[in-house]
Amino acid sequence: MKHDFSRLPDIIGRYPAEPGSLIAVLQDIQKEYNFLPCEALTAAAQALHVPLSKVFSVSTFYNAFCLTPRGDKIIRVCMGTTCHIRGAKQLLEQLETRLGIKAGQTTRDMKFTIEVVNCVGACAMAPVVIINDEYHGDCKVSDARRFTIGAKKDRKEAAE
Amino acid sequence: MATVTIQVNGRAVRAEKGEMLLAVLRREKIDIPATCNHEAVEAFGACRLCTVEITRDEWKGWKNYVTSCLYPVEAGLIVRTHSDTVIELRRTLLDLQLARHPRTPLIQQMAAEYGVLKTSYEEAPDGDDCILCALCTRVCDAMGFRAISTVGRGHGKRVAPPLDQPPPDCVGCLACAQICPTGFITYKEFGAGREIWGKQFQMVTCTRCGAPTITREFADNLAARREIPREYFDVCDACHRAELAGTMGRIAQWNREEAAR
Amino acid sequence: MKITSPAQLSRLQTDLAAQDKKLGKKVMICCGPGCLANGATKLVQAFRSELEKKRIRDFRVEALKETGCHGFCEKGPLVVIEPQGTFYTRVTPADVPEIIEQSIRGNQTVERLLYRDQATGEPKTTYHEIDFYRKQTRIALRNLGKIDQYSIDEYIRVGGYQALAKVLTTMTPDQVITEVKASGLRGRGGAGFHTGRKWESCATADDWPHYVVCNGDEGDPGAFMDRSIMEGDPHSVLEGMIICAFAVKSKDGYIYVREEYPLAVQNLQRAITQARAYGLLGEGILGTEFSFDIKISRGAGAFVCGESSALMKSVAGEVGEPRAKYVRSVLKGLYDKPTVLNNVESYANIPVIIAKGGAWLAAIGTPKSTGTKAFSLVGKVRNTGLIEVPMGTTLREIIYGIGGGILHDRPFKAVQTGGPSGGCLPADKLDLPVDFDTLTDAYSMMGSGGMIVMDERTCVVDVAKYFLHFLVEESCGKCTPCREGLFQLHELANRISDGRGTEADLALMEKLSENIIIGSLCGLGKSGPNPFVSTIRYFREEYLAHIRDHKCPAGVCTALIRYDIVAEKCDGCMACIHACAVNAITGRKGKVHVINQDICTKCGACMAVCRRDAVEVA
Repeated sequence: MKHDFSRLPDIIGRYPAEPGSLIAVLQDIQKEYNFLPCEALTAAAQALHVPLSKVFSVSTFYNAFCLTPRGDKIIRVCMGTTCHIRGAKQLLEQLETRLGIKAGQTTRDMKFTIEVVNCVGACAMAPVVIINDEYHGDCKVSDARRFTIGAKKDRKEAAE
Repeated sequence: MATVTIQVNGRAVRAEKGEMLLAVLRREKIDIPATCNHEAVEAFGACRLCTVEITRDEWKGWKNYVTSCLYPVEAGLIVRTHSDTVIELRRTLLDLQLARHPRTPLIQQMAAEYGVLKTSYEEAPDGDDCILCALCTRVCDAMGFRAISTVGRGHGKRVAPPLDQPPPDCVGCLACAQICPTGFITYKEFGAGREIWGKQFQMVTCTRCGAPTITREFADNLAARREIPREYFDVCDACHRAELAGTMGRIAQWNREEAAR
Repeated sequence: MKITSPAQLSRLQTDLAAQDKKLGKKVMICCGPGCLANGATKLVQAFRSELEKKRIRDFRVEALKETGCHGFCEKGPLVVIEPQGTFYTRVTPADVPEIIEQSIRGNQTVERLLYRDQATGEPKTTYHEIDFYRKQTRIALRNLGKIDQYSIDEYIRVGGYQALAKVLTTMTPDQVITEVKASGLRGRGGAGFHTGRKWESCATADDWPHYVVCNGDEGDPGAFMDRSIMEGDPHSVLEGMIICAFAVKSKDGYIYVREEYPLAVQNLQRAITQARAYGLLGEGILGTEFSFDIKISRGAGAFVCGESSALMKSVAGEVGEPRAKYVRSVLKGLYDKPTVLNNVESYANIPVIIAKGGAWLAAIGTPKSTGTKAFSLVGKVRNTGLIEVPMGTTLREIIYGIGGGILHDRPFKAVQTGGPSGGCLPADKLDLPVDFDTLTDAYSMMGSGGMIVMDERTCVVDVAKYFLHFLVEESCGKCTPCREGLFQLHELANRISDGRGTEADLALMEKLSENIIIGSLCGLGKSGPNPFVSTIRYFREEYLAHIRDHKCPAGVCTALIRYDIVAEKCDGCMACIHACAVNAITGRKGKVHVINQDICTKCGACMAVCRRDAVEVA
């Protein structure tokens, strides 16, 4: 997949050119490309005067960063305590089964990604699912079906 | 620096104020195990094996457990290095390490010293020799190359070059392989070449005797950073010494000739 | 327009208060985390467009306020009509025209949207009459629900930044520290260190510069107090930090906000921009010589970065690996310089302490735990939401008096406090007062304020397993006892949950826990075994049921339960067959359905859709 990296200097240039800006820069890069391409890691290392090994270390340490391309629809399931008690695990398993992938993976047609996320602080509406920044509260296991509308049917059958 | 007196296992011991406790204990020839500690790098506090029990009179019996590698001594410190709690902690730590690295000789040996011949936990089926002491990454940082780092976090943490590719900043100096306590880091040498972390290096060969010395990249780097002429590295240490001995010999000879005149 | 003197600030406040009075009625729409997730944005749009259309006399669009969390999340989306205090629950955009007609144009209430008393069913018109609110003392949460959360003028209108003015023009740094010490305020993030003493240590440290950092990482699952304050009353945090900076002589501050809170980042950034424009941040604050500015530093998804030394490394753009704290971060913190790190809620208390005096706060709560504490009360309790009560209030008063007791009146089983560092307390501990020390003595801890109520359908083995899994995922991996120890502890808990555990496993887990607690480098590891240690202490029988009887009494552990369709109740509607993602249910329309146990993944989808209660868990 081709990406336009000409925007990288602009994105990196939003912050002071120093090591302390690394996390903010990586977050903005990920927002732009939906993941962290390795060309971006190299560019960030050079611009911020941080060794590439440290950039790689930071981008693999923090949950928010993903080094592989993600899908159009990113389904994030909150795994906070309240969500857990109210069935988040079963909801996650439903999503995984219906899409034929595990949390942290993307469907082959690049349509869906499942991620787990730590408590997002909307506990009164547990279980919470966030789809591309839109919050869905009071989710039931049966909601997994409408969240995965458009998933390839044979994927579901292949999983069985 | 001020000297203070502390108590270690019932004995009075002198130390410099602010000195790290582990250095004091080692000086007293007390056997404190540690896997992540090395003079070449700053103390890290990761393996926790050097933990000792400390207390003070004013604590009225309350004890604390600290890693001696990072604990600065102060007057009035009372230390026990082999109390039951400390022994139990070290045994548990080595038991845990043995579960993860069941075939690593260093861990087998250290665990055996604490009475653990087989782990109490489930053995990792794919246990390798990297005990995550991070000595390699720290020495690489200390050398100024910062070519490798720890990757990921938690149980899946590992040491690797960036993007799992040959590391661009590595100069093949072998400091990481030399400091690695278990031999996990390996390298290959073949004729005038070397390979480590999947990266190939060409050695500089001595213009006098033809022996390989250091990698070209390392030589270039030292020349740039230390303001040493690059040509210096074209002669190996042995030949430099021989040359120096030769020069010293000639100077001695001239002195003798002068004296004779 | 920069405010360059306390007098100018006071004039502005008076003007704003007068304008506000002229507004007459105000509509306070709750835009807290819960209501937002429940569609508050659409509600705001509905009000705006209806009011545009209707043009009510004497009602301007400025009287529509998007506020922070009102607290009663269970009943959201919430709308309050001030100054009456009319309290509307579960409001949808469809209700908006009626509310406008009845309560804004007219002086009536919309009966069906009122809160009904649990016991009597009687409707309550205003929130002043509702126990959930009456029994609270809101100090840190004082402005939530009362002011528009996007406006600095609203903050100033209710007296905001007056404390800062007092500090900058009539107090010395030492006097500020004395006042904070007198208040007895202890760190609201859960560690409970005396705030005044922390500020004093930093102020007197002879190593420059000094930094002021706010810990907005709120990683405990189930806690959203800090999120609500950062979003709903961001200026209270800024004011607290600026006052701290004055006291410890700092010029640079950071607010570290976790990545999962993008709205908090937005609202704080907006507040910072507004404060700078008014000359309340930046060079020469309020026309004095004092300068201080704040930057926001975003987390990137790491619970361990709530730990102070890890947080500071993250602010510096590094991996969040903590360091051993034999030299405290107040002396060697951010970039190895003296740093005050305090929690969001701690800073929110500061303006009140300055305005009313430290002694005022010290008179609330208990002698060793002064003041109040905000809690997120969630789980199987009737009234879930955000509350604030004086320290020393008992668990019973919170869970039953304010929380309204257990959902569906099921028996209380346990309350989990302190997040992954805390523990579960059973029914016989309900009369314990909540403060920094009492719960710790009982093998749990108050922590940052997350309070999760559990009933008989919660399995403590599953809860322990859940927290251990969380910690294994979040461990930075630096030290052996946490990285390897919690991993093995989780594996063993998993075995027990799967019915493969033995009593010898329990003994091994107990010994391992002791050593993890002693040996770990930081708080995450040191308190990591707590979920297991507290549940094995109070619920040993439940562990033994899993081990000896291979049963999960709560019906949760999937390996030990089965879902069955009760033939007599099944009407063959096929709803469960459609709901099942793995095709484990067979049956034709009108015929009894059967679950194939070999395929069933125990997800519970069938039970959720069955309208005849025909699916049972055994």
